[in-house]
Amino acid sequence: MALRLLTRNLRNRISPNLCSASLLHSHATSFGFKEVREEEKSQMVGKVFSNVASNYDLMNDFMSAGLHRLWKDRLVSKLSPFPGMKHLDVAGGTGDVAFRILESINSIRRRALQDPINDDLQEETRIYVCDINQNMLNVGKNRALERGLGEDKSLVWVQGDAEALSFEDNSMDGYTIAFGIRNVTHIEKVLTEAYRVLKRGGRFLSLELSHVEIPVFKELYDLYSFSVIPRLGEVVAGDRESYQYLVESIRRFPPQEKFASMIADAGFQKVEYENLVGGVVAIHSGLKI
Amino acid sequence: MYRTVVNRILLSGGSRRLPRYPDIRTIISSSRFSTTAQPQTVLNPSGSSTSSSSSTSFRTSSAAGDVPRHERNNPRAEYEGEQARVLQASLRHVIRLGWSEEAMIAGAKEVGISPSIVGSFPRKEAALVEFFMDDCLQRLIDRIDSGEELQNLTPSQCIYKLVRIRLEMQAPYISKWPQALSIQAHPLNVSTSFKQRAMLIDEIWHAAGDETSDLDWYVKRTVLGGIYSTTEIYMLTDSSPEFRDTWLFLDNRVKDAFDLKKMIQEAKYLAEAVGAGMGSSLQGFVGRVLQR
Repeated sequence: MALRLLTRNLRNRISPNLCSASLLHSHATSFGFKEVREEEKSQMVGKVFSNVASNYDLMNDFMSAGLHRLWKDRLVSKLSPFPGMKHLDVAGGTGDVAFRILESINSIRRRALQDPINDDLQEETRIYVCDINQNMLNVGKNRALERGLGEDKSLVWVQGDAEALSFEDNSMDGYTIAFGIRNVTHIEKVLTEAYRVLKRGGRFLSLELSHVEIPVFKELYDLYSFSVIPRLGEVVAGDRESYQYLVESIRRFPPQEKFASMIADAGFQKVEYENLVGGVVAIHSGLKI
Repeated sequence: MYRTVVNRILLSGGSRRLPRYPDIRTIISSSRFSTTAQPQTVLNPSGSSTSSSSSTSFRTSSAAGDVPRHERNNPRAEYEGEQARVLQASLRHVIRLGWSEEAMIAGAKEVGISPSIVGSFPRKEAALVEFFMDDCLQRLIDRIDSGEELQNLTPSQCIYKLVRIRLEMQAPYISKWPQALSIQAHPLNVSTSFKQRAMLIDEIWHAAGDETSDLDWYVKRTVLGGIYSTTEIYMLTDSSPEFRDTWLFLDNRVKDAFDLKKMIQEAKYLAEAVGAGMGSSLQGFVGRVLQR
């Protein structure tokens, strides 16, 4: 797992061919390897997730051999949640990350270390789960009920668009987006919104499937992605198209360094990324000061 | 250690400031290669400048907690400055909450920054302990620089005085100091804490007027390192008023160390004498055996 620090002058080092405007424009009009109109992309992504919502978690387990759980654990441990935190989990539909954060804050170990004053703070913790797709949110709410968190007022389910959040400026201590930023139409808008809602000292963390550069492993990973995953989608979820979109959209998403420079452009400092499983997944983090 | 020599050359004239919180290793390597005293900045056409790590560190070191003058030009310095402020505030909570995340969260709240920033420190509690060690070293350097007190002392007295000053800085935290020591001993943190202690020892010897450059240099540092560590640990269990027993202990150790030289000489003479005595009687014995 390699950790790299990015400086602001990275943009100047990227060759003119990959100038930011054209790459971003291509993200806004790409639906996997297909070209679509900007206005349509949002709808098409919406359809994908309405289709996959019911089998989402099951498919995640299949495709990543259960590893996605570890990745999300790593994300939450990097976040370092604390009692009284106001956290926003965007594109967090089925609630995986939100549940982990809540459990981390409520864990016995933590409670043992606190002094009595902090117990009141525990009451103030708010985890907002925001997703553009109501189906995903419904699945999440049901899962919360199953886990016994149905009555917990720390969890708030909000339907909303990551590019135009309904939260106030400087209101969030943390912002996470796990496997969601790949699906948005305009990445920079999402990053700007993230910067807006975070407080001073707040952190932005994104967990996303990313690019593998290791020679032999790259070929194996490509083989797995394009041959196995759509087939798996067809067999398990009955939906080949959506999973074809999934693997194509991973390839279209900017590589680690590029995405890190985009985060820096949005105003974040101390932008770093950590590759997991050789680059299959990358956790990018930024600090708002 | 390069730092003291390089610092004296590059920052001559101004007050010496140990670069705060940013990784000290980058400071050392970059200051070795820069030949001018002025920080270098690289301005690109868009107007927002980026700077090499050496200038960032120089800037933060000169600002020492104030708002850096060229804020827009130096975004990296900002977050490091804020992190330093949070750590400084956290120290006030250590006595109550220990060297822990809770203290850092309390510190962040005090400064008015979201406690999420605690997650951005690479090794959390270790960052706090290391900050404290750097801070104490800086205060020691300041005392030395301003110090007329050290003028007329013999080396052993000088060392006694400096070690005492440094350990007194830890006195307020003594109830939680064992925790700090265990954090420093953690495998992930050992290399940094070792470097910090090495710098401290080097600084003290330098102030005591040490000019050696041969093997003796290592011997001296090791001996002083031993004195410092044993006194530090002694202090943990000392309950005498104002740590009087600790200072007595320190005094004895320093004396022992300086007597060590004489002791080594005497041991050498003794060995020679014994060898001579043994040798002659052995020779006689062997001769008698062979004669038979």
